[in-house]
Amino acid sequence: MAKRLYIDFLGKKNLFFAISGVLIAVSIAALLLKGLVFGIEFQGGTVMTLKTKPGVTAEQVRKALETAGVPDARNATIQTTQDGSFLVRTSESDPQKAEEAFLKVVDELKLPEQEVTVTTIGPGWGRSVTRSALTALAISIFAILLYISVRFEYKMSLTAVLALVHDALIVLGIYAILGREVTPNTIAALLTILGYSLYDTIVVFHRIRENTRTLTKKTFTEAANDSINQVLARWINTSLTSIIPVTMLFLFGGETLKDFAFALLVGMISGAYSSVGVASTVYSVWKETEPRYQALRKKQAGKPAKAS
Amino acid sequence: MDDKSKNVLALGIVVVLVALSWWAFWPLDKKISQGLDLKGGLSVILTAEPAPGQPLTEDMMNRAETILTERVNALGVSEASVQRSGADALLVQIPGIKDSREALKTLGSTGRLDFVDARSITTTSVALEYGAVLPEGAYPESAIIVTGANVKTAGVTVDQSNRPAVSLDFDKQGADAWAKYTTANVGQTIVITLDGVVQSVATIREPITDGRTMISGSFTADEAKRLAAVLQAGALPVKLTPSSTQVVGPTLGQESLKQGLVAGLAGFGLVALFMFAYYRGFGVLSWFSLGAYLSLLFGIIALLSRAGAYALSLPGVAGLVLTVGVAADSSILIFERFKEEVRMGKTFRSAAKSGTRHALITSLNADLVTLVSAIVIFIFAIGPVKGFALTLALGIMCDLFVAFMFTRSVVVLLAESVVSKAPGLFGVKGGQDG
Repeated sequence: MAKRLYIDFLGKKNLFFAISGVLIAVSIAALLLKGLVFGIEFQGGTVMTLKTKPGVTAEQVRKALETAGVPDARNATIQTTQDGSFLVRTSESDPQKAEEAFLKVVDELKLPEQEVTVTTIGPGWGRSVTRSALTALAISIFAILLYISVRFEYKMSLTAVLALVHDALIVLGIYAILGREVTPNTIAALLTILGYSLYDTIVVFHRIRENTRTLTKKTFTEAANDSINQVLARWINTSLTSIIPVTMLFLFGGETLKDFAFALLVGMISGAYSSVGVASTVYSVWKETEPRYQALRKKQAGKPAKAS
Repeated sequence: MDDKSKNVLALGIVVVLVALSWWAFWPLDKKISQGLDLKGGLSVILTAEPAPGQPLTEDMMNRAETILTERVNALGVSEASVQRSGADALLVQIPGIKDSREALKTLGSTGRLDFVDARSITTTSVALEYGAVLPEGAYPESAIIVTGANVKTAGVTVDQSNRPAVSLDFDKQGADAWAKYTTANVGQTIVITLDGVVQSVATIREPITDGRTMISGSFTADEAKRLAAVLQAGALPVKLTPSSTQVVGPTLGQESLKQGLVAGLAGFGLVALFMFAYYRGFGVLSWFSLGAYLSLLFGIIALLSRAGAYALSLPGVAGLVLTVGVAADSSILIFERFKEEVRMGKTFRSAAKSGTRHALITSLNADLVTLVSAIVIFIFAIGPVKGFALTLALGIMCDLFVAFMFTRSVVVLLAESVVSKAPGLFGVKGGQDG
């Protein structure tokens, strides 16, 4: 086999910190300045799917909504989907009225006869959904911290969670920048990213631990860098096989599935990067500050540098 | 038992389980139940609010559930269901419903249980028997003798001839009104209605002065139990407001399912292709691992479906597609570790043994973390997200099982035979035949 590729990942830590720093700064700025657009699930309202016929414009739909007596029809969002339906979101929170409005609009615009497809969310529901999601998030993070601390060590668990927060912030930042609607599906995807983003991190950490158990001839950073290179194929391939199905979901899934897939896709790409760019890098920098690894570094500094 | 027999046994177990799974899940569309977002229908989450100043009790929720079940049954739709959803909400699912407005009206109404003098019911279009639906205003308010609010307890008992009967006890106010009426009207017929639906028709045999009443007749045990539950539940003890209402047309639901399946197949195909391109012979092995994995997962889902504990929802489809990636991950860890140990100069045999063991430990740690978050979401999240988390959690467990029982065993068995003869086919070099 040809000489294996060796990349000095940890030597590029400043580059990683710069990339992550910029991404995080942009995300936070977008979140603060633009803010997130929350779906009707969070504030109450109605989504209806209207099968249309050629020649009907969004403006006509809006007019028909007004005629049907939908409150706040002016501010309804009307979106065209791939299969040529209208996805209409209004603030109506009474399911019976929403369904009546649906039938009236179909009637008014003489749209083809169709099955009613309406989702209505009451105003209080969003609060319960958000609360349950936040609870799940907090407990998830706590459980992950605990698990990694017990199986590995607390410095690994904290840096792994740091990478997670990094990924979550970037996903939310991209949602804010694109003005994409945050739905309970987005939240579920975010929670799942927690697990996924960790998969690669754990694979790398596992190897770092294996390689640094009895460390005498190399600095910690060198050993960690060897570890990343040893699992490089694993890291890339497991990321790819996770990203492929999600990309397919994003390309071929319907509206709901796309919603999941988008958040997952961004999160997975960020997660693949952050397991090396954030988790491993910060972890190595942190471990280097331990007295025994500092001593090791001093000892190594006396000898001529040697590639492993 | 030596190692080889153990591995062969493990393979045998997987093959048997895969066969059982196929038997359990084939044909898929019959054996795996679909959620309403795929099948089409009305799905409502009703949140309970007690009267101001009153705490929401478990008893209130149970009564609300009983009443809703009665109401849903009265709509005459098969497969409709009412389930508790968290502490203060009920999930009502009615598949294939035509007019969901009517259903919504019925579900949300406060409801009333009336004991009415039969003579006052003027409608002649319906016979007075269980299940008859009386039109609105079929009897005047004045004809109501007592209401569900007056019922203290109701239960199942037996009459003198040992047949199932329903016992009933009224509160003070109810017992007084009941005593007055029954004393004056022996031989008259009473109709008990819940939301205008006749629940029972009974004749007064004797004056009942202490409120203790027995309704007997030709009940089966189940009928008696049902009537007792209705009487006990009475009117809705809480106000129910729809917090999430979803009406999905059946065609649209099936369309989304199809899109999900296309995405799943495309994802599976590309992952399989990638695995072959990169891992050659082991890539082919990973197809079988993925196949075994999906078979077991569908098998479990089909069993849960049969038990009524699982319905595939759209988020569940997303979860399924996603786990294809997870399943490939554990194969990758095993193959990579094996190749690495071969590169380090180990024999194929010992590389397979120690490589698969190490890889599985890594895989276990990484999978457990995902599993932890999936389980946490399943427990704490509400709404559609739950189905997603459950699918994901089941997927991870199947993956670990297949990686351990199947992929590992095959790699070890192959290492001792085929791999050493044609290492090129498996993308490995070196490694002396041990």
